[in-house]
Parts: sequence; structure tokens; C-alpha cells
Amino acid sequence: MRLTCVVNGNDVAIDVEPHDLLLDVVRDRLGLRGAKRSCDAQVCGACTVVVDGLPVSACTTLALEADGADVETIEGLAVDGELSAVQQAFVDAGAFQCGFCTPGMILMVEALIRDHPDASPEDAGGYLKGTLCRCTGYVKILEAVQRAQAAGQEAAAS
Amino acid sequence: MSTLSVGRPLPREDAWAKVTGSARYTGDLLPAGCLHAAVVRSEVAHGALRSVDVSEAERAPGVVTTLVGAEIAHLDPVFGEWIPDQTPLAIDRIRFHGEPVAAIVATSPRLAREAAALVRIEAEPLPVHLDIDAARAEDAVPIHEPGDRDRNVCHAFEVAFGDVDDALADAAWVHRATYTIPAAYHYAMEPHTCLASWDGNRLEVWSSTQQPFKVRADLARIFRLDLNQVRMQVPFVGGGYGSKGQSKYEPLTAALALKLQRPVRLVLDVREAFLTVTRHAARITVTTGVDADGWMVARDTVVEYDTGGYADKGPRVAKKGAYRAAGPYRIPNIRSHGVSVYTNKPPAGAFRGFSTPQVVWAAESAIDEIAAHLGEDPVAFRLRHLKDRGEPFLGQDTPLDADLAQGLSLAADGVGWGDAGVADHGRGVAVAVKDGGGGSARSEATVRLQPDGSIEVQTATVELGQGARTVFRQIAAEELHADADAVRIAETDTTVAPFDRGTNASRSTMAVGSAVADAARRLYEQVLEMAREAHGGVSDLCLRGADVIAMVDGAEHRDSLASLMGTIRGLPAAELGPLVATGAHVTPAGAGPLGSATPFYEVAHGAAELSVDEETGEIMLNRYVSVADVGFAINPVTCEGQDEGAAVMGLGHTLFEELEYDDEGQLLNGALYEYRVPRASDLPSAGLHTILLENRDGPGPFGAKGAGEGGIIAIAPAVANAVAAATGVRLRDLPLTPERVWRAIRRRGQGTGDA
Repeated sequence: MRLTCVVNGNDVAIDVEPHDLLLDVVRDRLGLRGAKRSCDAQVCGACTVVVDGLPVSACTTLALEADGADVETIEGLAVDGELSAVQQAFVDAGAFQCGFCTPGMILMVEALIRDHPDASPEDAGGYLKGTLCRCTGYVKILEAVQRAQAAGQEAAAS
Repeated sequence: MSTLSVGRPLPREDAWAKVTGSARYTGDLLPAGCLHAAVVRSEVAHGALRSVDVSEAERAPGVVTTLVGAEIAHLDPVFGEWIPDQTPLAIDRIRFHGEPVAAIVATSPRLAREAAALVRIEAEPLPVHLDIDAARAEDAVPIHEPGDRDRNVCHAFEVAFGDVDDALADAAWVHRATYTIPAAYHYAMEPHTCLASWDGNRLEVWSSTQQPFKVRADLARIFRLDLNQVRMQVPFVGGGYGSKGQSKYEPLTAALALKLQRPVRLVLDVREAFLTVTRHAARITVTTGVDADGWMVARDTVVEYDTGGYADKGPRVAKKGAYRAAGPYRIPNIRSHGVSVYTNKPPAGAFRGFSTPQVVWAAESAIDEIAAHLGEDPVAFRLRHLKDRGEPFLGQDTPLDADLAQGLSLAADGVGWGDAGVADHGRGVAVAVKDGGGGSARSEATVRLQPDGSIEVQTATVELGQGARTVFRQIAAEELHADADAVRIAETDTTVAPFDRGTNASRSTMAVGSAVADAARRLYEQVLEMAREAHGGVSDLCLRGADVIAMVDGAEHRDSLASLMGTIRGLPAAELGPLVATGAHVTPAGAGPLGSATPFYEVAHGAAELSVDEETGEIMLNRYVSVADVGFAINPVTCEGQDEGAAVMGLGHTLFEELEYDDEGQLLNGALYEYRVPRASDLPSAGLHTILLENRDGPGPFGAKGAGEGGIIAIAPAVANAVAAATGVRLRDLPLTPERVWRAIRRRGQGTGDA
């Protein structure tokens, strides 16, 4: 069946099987390997991809569910070699270690900052509880959220 | 004129790759023509393997080949770092539910898995032993040939000083208690992944392994190759924590690729990773004699580890656990007996902390029970017993190189110890010492300075997330008087990497980092000598981009490195290769009971403050402070991150994590929706943070020690001690689930106060 969508601003039109998962199509057909397969059960968020503005677990999303949608992956964040504010906040805070959860975590934080710019650390922790990290203990991830919030406030003020 | 690189929180060397998703892990590699493997696993926990029928699987769509144990029996297929008792596929015996019995290769992972379900395994069941007592019973069936060991004992080790029995007999009071901690799974978010490819009789393997040279040696032996015919490459690894040490699926993947003469990739499902290696469950009995003045005079520890169906690191865990059970206190009579016991469960192996979270769970809980009995403040009780810097840890091993009292006080202060505090809140501490740095070893590193000023560092250390690449970059830049940005870390590749035994035991900064420093210093000397040949009196120099800036008689003199090298070597710039130096570091053998001299001690200090909801048994963490005695933090941010991450990983086994098996040995909760790991919402409400203690007293570069494991060791007893302070209830079994806490509180009402 034909899957027609926009991925990171580029038109995509490919044939997929009805049972093909969005994660496998993104990784193996489109070569966008930032999204990872970890728990394979919609628990850990390593496979996070954004479909029409909503972060989804691509490991349990059929590719065809993204038909006609605007899909964003981690690869679409940096523009002309410049990191997004959230990506830069992760770098500055040292908010990643092995990096396997990082693409999904960054996409979730992007959504958090966009939808809840004034989230408290406790709220942020709650928002992120579906995105696991086994290396950092989340401490510096929450620091990155605060940095990104501050950068957002500065940008808004200027 | 020196560059200030070490000690600074520079951005990570792998930052761009990881935040843009361009970092490559083994599962992201897919060479042309690559086929996909799936593993067929046993559904009995113990049995004599009679037959494996792959005929239906062979005919399934997309299947290219199958492999069973009998086909590789003619190789030397046995591996295992301490006791070689594992084979890539079961040959005549199955020892745990989930053990690999066959493998399928197909044109897609899905087709391989579908075909795997069609394989028929026939095994004559044997009695299943699922815990230490069952495995050691009179009538237990030996899971491996016992040789001269007791039935199902994988390894036993005892260390003793003084006369514990006499001292206990004379003691005014004896405390004795048994503590338990169940098996856990590391859950590295990247599952084990391996890609193997043959080129004639040369084998190339990419793998998510922590020990590339050890795996290479196994592969060479198994497939009867010379070491120079095997190449291990390790890209970024998505977490290890010990689960990716020693050979795992590399021999199997290589055997599949050999059969097909095509590249084969095996990517484990996370559920299979749970069946690959675990953290040892343990039962620990601590007996402590206390004299009339409240001094501990004797400690006897028996620690029994459940090592599962294969030895893996079991023997070493038993040794280390017994050794470290002595603890950081001045107790003149010590006896520790450690034993690893085979059971019919997946093999237990290395896990962050390596034997020590288990013994310290017991020992530091016992300390608080003893202090409570004496009516003494638990911090004060510890402080008066703690050994000082310079005192021996045990016998002839290296003296303690840390100020434990300083670290403990810092941790306790961090939760306001001694302050009035909030009603219903309890505070608890724990302190422990682990001989760090791994055993005797020689680690090497190569540093190259290209004529354009760019620098490459080559080691066999694997970037697991701990930040080794970042640390090595900063060390090399510092010693070379160059900018950190000029330093690139080469990918791990055994063809070109100098030797190192493995990325584990908190050793890489200390051992390999020292080799990097050594190599970079030698390289600096080479440049200095060239500059002196060109300019006479050069006191100092630094490298900036493509240039050398030399201090000549007090004045700065700038050359391009290429022209300096060209002048000295009498060659045009286009004909110049790099300057190269190799450095080394040796961790020597020694006189201690473990046969090596401990290079440094990794100390764990933790303090918790919490309250308990007595209606539900839920523990509500308010604050947790971990103090990491790191000597010197080459990069303070990555260093803190490692300790924070270790503490939260420890929060997992403290509150949530427990592998559960049914009475046929089948794992019941081997998936992330059942196995509860810490989430961002589990952090203490007023924060968890790490204090770095930097006394510049380590054997590594710039006074660094190792780090990364301390944080996981203290948290469970600190939390249990705080629960006892808050509720009067003592729990001796992990995890501290709401149900357990609730039941203990109910029993408190009945007067025992003990769980």
C-alpha cells in the first residue's frame, strides 16, 4: 500500500505492507536511524517520532497510521547545522550519556517546552515518565529542561 | 601558557552525534547483503537435550539457513571468562529457561522470528533448581560437573583475619541478621547486538561489547584462527553496566555468518536481553560481635550468590563480595565466606557495583541495627569506627586512600543530619568501600599528532555513555598543551587499538586515561624537541590549530606545525605523516588476597531523607545525596552524571526491581511493562544530587580515581535506614515495595518491629 507523508519537511511516497511498523519504515526505508528500538512495547520512548505534532511510540504505530501526516524525527531538529534550543540545552547540561534514549528524550522535551513552557521540575518529571533513561538518572535531563525554558523565555523577551 | 582542559565541564566529545541522532550503534549498521538472525530458546529450565528439529523452520518463507548446537560441537565452542562452561547453542544439556538452542537466519528479522517459532526442541526434563537452597540440597542434580567442588557450587572463597569465633564468644553482645536481595536486570536500553562477516578466513565482528579484546580472543580460539585474523569493532554502545562483558552472542553470530559466507546481524529483542545475563540475587548473613564499650570486635559474613545456569563472572563475584564484606570499619576480627551457586536460571554476571550492592545492603543495614541497639546515632557510630586514610583495608592490600569520615559527613549534612527536620521524616546513611580499578593489567594508548595540528587518540575503551571519549580527549589536550576541540577519538577497532582488557570496574580513566596521558606527554616531548632543534632555548610550547606557539627566551614564536616538522625532517609538508606515541599504564599484581594491589578504593557514601505513607506503604523520597570521592574530576559534568545515574539505578533495586520466575523457571516479568525501572517522576521531591569530593589523591591522571559504581552501592541501605528512622520498622529484603513496607508496619503494631 502507498504511504504518502511529509518527513522532516520532505515529501515521502513509498510502498509499505499493512503490518509494517512506523519505526522500521523510518529507520530502514528512510534511513533515519536516530529513533531506536528498545522495549518494543510503548513503555520506554526510545522510538519516539512526532506525528502531526504528537509524540508517538513508533514501535507500536503502523506506518500507514502516518499516511497524510507531518512526521518529524530527531534528524529534522537541527536546521542548517544549528542545534535547536533543546538540543543545545542537552549539550550544555550534559543531559545524555550513552545516547540511546536521547533522540526520543529530546523530542519529548521539545513537546514539553512547546505545550507546557512553565512546567515545574515535578511536572516535567511527570511529563517525561514515559521516556526512560537508564544512564543519567534524569537529573541533568531536568536541568536541560530548565535551561531550555530559560532560553525560551529569553527569546520571547527579546 | 598551558591549556586548561582537564577539570572543566567541556561539552562531550560525542555531543553532536548523540543529540542529532547521528550516533551509530551496532544495530544501525546494515551492510549490503546482510541477513538477519533470530534465536530459538529453550522452554524448559533443565534438561538433557535430545533433538532439535528445524525441518519446518527451514521451509518457512525467507529462511536461508538454520543452526543447531550439534553443528558447532566440532569447533572449540566453549567460552567463559572464569570457568569456560558456556556454548553459543546448547549441545547436549539445557540449563535455563530461555537458553539458546538453535538459530535461524532469514531475509528479515520478522521472518527469522516467525520461523524460530517452528523449531521443535525435545529435551528430557531434569529436576529444576531455582534457588540456592534447592541447588545445594542433598538430592540436587548437579547442573555442571562438580569436579572437586561441592554440588552446584560454582566458586567459594574465604578470607579471614584474626579469630572471629573467639571474638564472638567473648563479645558482650552479638547481632546476627540475614538480608536478601533478588536478581535484577541491567536493562541497557540498547539490547545486545552483533554483526558478523567473513572475508575468506578473516572474521569481522561489530558488537555492543565492553571487552573487545577478550571477545576477539574467544573468537580466535573457537574458530581456530590467529588473533590477526579476527577484527572486533565497537561503535557507540547504548549502555552496558556489566551486561555486555565477555563473549555473549558473538560466537553464535560468527558461526551463522561462517555457514552462509554472508554478513549476519543479530539484534536481540529486549525480552531476550533479560534472558542473557542478570545481576546476582544474594542472601547475606552478617554476624557482628560488639564489646561492652560498644566497639565492634568481630564481623562474620556469609554471602551466597545465585549465579544462574552458567558461571559468567560468578567466581569473581563470590571472591569480591567476600573481600568487600570486611567493610570500611576498624573491626579486628573478620571472616567472610562468599559462594556462587548454580541454579537453573539465566546466568548472573557483572553488574555495576559487582557483588557489592548486595553485601553492603546487608552490612550497612546491620550497622544501623547495631547502633539502634546501643542507642547511638548511626552517623556517630560509623564515624568512630571508620578507618582513616592510610589504614589497611584488609591485610597486605593497598592502604585506604580516602577520607571516609569526610565523605560520610558531607552526605549526612546534605540531608540535614542533626537538624530538627520535619516530623515523620526519617534520615538514613550508608558508607562502603570497594576495591576499584579491576585486577592486574597493562593498558596502552596511542596518540597521533597530524601535521595540520589535528590529534587522534586510539584506545580499546568502549564509549558506553560513561564519557570515556570526552575524558581521554581532555587528558590528551592537557598533556599536549592543545585545544580539546583538536582531539578526535578513534572508533574502537582491535586491528589498530592498543590493548586494554575491558571497559568495566571503574577503571578506564585511571588505567587507560593514564596511558593516554603517557602517550600525549611523549608526543609533547617530540614536538618540544623539534622546536628546540629549530629555535634553541624553548621553555614551553602549546598547539593552537595548525600552529605551534613556542616560548623562546621569553618571547612567543609561532610556526605552523607542518613547516616545523618539514624543516626537521627535511621533507615538504605534503610528504609528512603524523607524530605518533604510545603510552602504557600497569596495574600491578600484588600481595593482597585477590592477587592484585588495589589501585584505588571506590567509596560509596549516601544519605536519604524520606517519609512513609503508612496507609499504603509507599516511600516518599524527599532528598538523596551521594558523595563521590573521585580524586579529581577530569570532566565534572560527566563525572556527576555517572554518579547520579548510578544512584538512580540503585533506586531501582531499592524500590522496584526484582526478576520473578515461576516454579518452572520461566521469567514472568521480563518486559518493560512488568519490570519496573526508575522514571523521571521517581526522583526525590527536593532532588537527588551528587557532591564530588576531589582530594587529588587518586593514581590516575591529575589525581583522578575511578568512578561510576559508588553511587549504586549505598542507596538501598541508606533508604532502609531512613525508613527505620521514620517508622521504627526494619526491612531486610529488597525491594522495599509498598506491600512489604505496609506489611512490616502492620507487624510493628504487633510488637516485633522487625520485618
